[in-house]
Amino acid sequence: MTARGIRRAALYGGLVAASTVMVAPFLWTVSTALKPSADVFASPPKLIPDPATLANFQDVLTLLPFDRYLLNSIIVTGAIVLLNVVFGTMAAYAFAKLRFPGRNLIFAVMLLTLMVPFQVNLIPLYAIMVRLKEATGVIGADTYFGLIAPSAVQVFGIFLMRQFLKSIPDEILESARIDGASEWRILRSVVFPLAAPGMATLAIFTFIAAWNDFLWPLIVTSSDDMRTLPVGLALLARKNTVNWGQTMAGTVLAAGPMIAVFLVLQRRFIEGLTAGAVKDVG
Amino acid sequence: MTLARLRRQSIGYALIAPAVVTVVVFLLIPIVLSAYWSFTEYNGVKPPTWVGLDNYATLLTSPRFQRSIWNTVVFVVLGMGLGPPLGLATALLLNRAMRFRGVFRVAFFLPVMTSLVVVATIWKMLYNENGLINEILRLFTLPGHNWLSDPNTALPSIVVASVWQGFGFETVVFLAALGGIPRDYYDAARVDGAGRWAQFRYVTLPGLRPTILFIYIIGIIGSFQVFDQIFVMTQGGPVNATRTMVFDLYDKFNSLHLGEASAVAYILFVILATLSWIQFRFFGEGDR
Repeated sequence: MTARGIRRAALYGGLVAASTVMVAPFLWTVSTALKPSADVFASPPKLIPDPATLANFQDVLTLLPFDRYLLNSIIVTGAIVLLNVVFGTMAAYAFAKLRFPGRNLIFAVMLLTLMVPFQVNLIPLYAIMVRLKEATGVIGADTYFGLIAPSAVQVFGIFLMRQFLKSIPDEILESARIDGASEWRILRSVVFPLAAPGMATLAIFTFIAAWNDFLWPLIVTSSDDMRTLPVGLALLARKNTVNWGQTMAGTVLAAGPMIAVFLVLQRRFIEGLTAGAVKDVG
Repeated sequence: MTLARLRRQSIGYALIAPAVVTVVVFLLIPIVLSAYWSFTEYNGVKPPTWVGLDNYATLLTSPRFQRSIWNTVVFVVLGMGLGPPLGLATALLLNRAMRFRGVFRVAFFLPVMTSLVVVATIWKMLYNENGLINEILRLFTLPGHNWLSDPNTALPSIVVASVWQGFGFETVVFLAALGGIPRDYYDAARVDGAGRWAQFRYVTLPGLRPTILFIYIIGIIGSFQVFDQIFVMTQGGPVNATRTMVFDLYDKFNSLHLGEASAVAYILFVILATLSWIQFRFFGEGDR
């Protein structure tokens, strides 16, 4: 073998080994979820479940309403993504392209809040949600509103979209104005279409963050009906009566949807997630 | 003319209104409230009573809180020492025309997409006394170990799981940045007789400088807030060996010590703000 050939073999060998380390835990999870409990810690380990059983999945679904968690995760994440894209783009357009007194000051204050870690506003935020619930009965702690509203607008998203919208030439907007289009019309027919790639990035960013969010959903929900997938899984894993096969079945249910979406849209996801990062740097 | 301008201004306000309301109600007001609460004794039921700097003094002299700061720092240093170099190394390996590049990229990125709760649950099983990791060790006739129940190995074990989860993000960010370094630079360096190492040292690294700064700022801020893994894998134990600042905050919040919990949050904030400032001040003045 030539020196070049050996180097290539080493490169591929190393990458295959590393990829195995990345993927194997997921496969092991699925395998464990399909095993009867006696086989979970069999030594030597059984790589392929034999006999395979769906009992763990049935157990988990009777123990905790994972289907409800999935629905909650979809509703909450969907709403957060939609609100961020609409409100974020609207605000970003105003900050990037319109002139009004106080614009720069308001934007600067918003940017400053990016410095503050979420834990700082966590506790008062919870207190506000509890008061809201007491006062109204329908919104506040342990409701969809409580899960969604604090994440409805992310300052980072506005920042990202503003950078993006700044690259739209003013002439396009001006000519639309001269043609007599109202600002709303311009927003709908000119800005939104031109901003679509940026909005896709923002949507992907928000989707991943909201879907995987844990601390806030853990704190703001208290009834089983309102839990999201990560919270449900964490609570399942902490139950003493649950065995590892059942926990891994819960893990498969919690992780499956995201992994499926990722495998379908992987190029968009990876590029979307890095675009935010690289734009920030460049 | 003025009327049109006035209308355009009011549209500006209308467009930012949802964002402003959300930021004020759910961000600014809470930030101010928790600053105030951090100077009070408050259990969420009785009105807060002013205690001045007592909460901060109690925390900073409490061995348990000192331990949680120390654990957090260990987590950040180990994680940031391992993750970004691993991300850069894999990015350098993948930064060439090759078969299956996309497949490898997906493999490294897969855990990044998965929630930390999922990853922590999986690794808790892998670390089990009879789990896969010990089985593999036994295959090589090495002794197994109770990774998460031993105070000496619990925190490093969580670091390993966290690095495994996160470094793929750094891989793809570095990959994108490597693609942005002009080929001419390498050609010029080669003409000047630069070998592989010299090219890396004088072309690649300077070209990556803003990316490295970005990754470390984001990474340090993120890892200082470590919570999900701790909650799932150890609940801060054994004997506080994995108690981190945010876990401590959660614990105090749960036991309704809201004043102290707010003080923890502000201590975290001050640490993060100081670190970010230092990074920008000393490493931020890129020459690019």
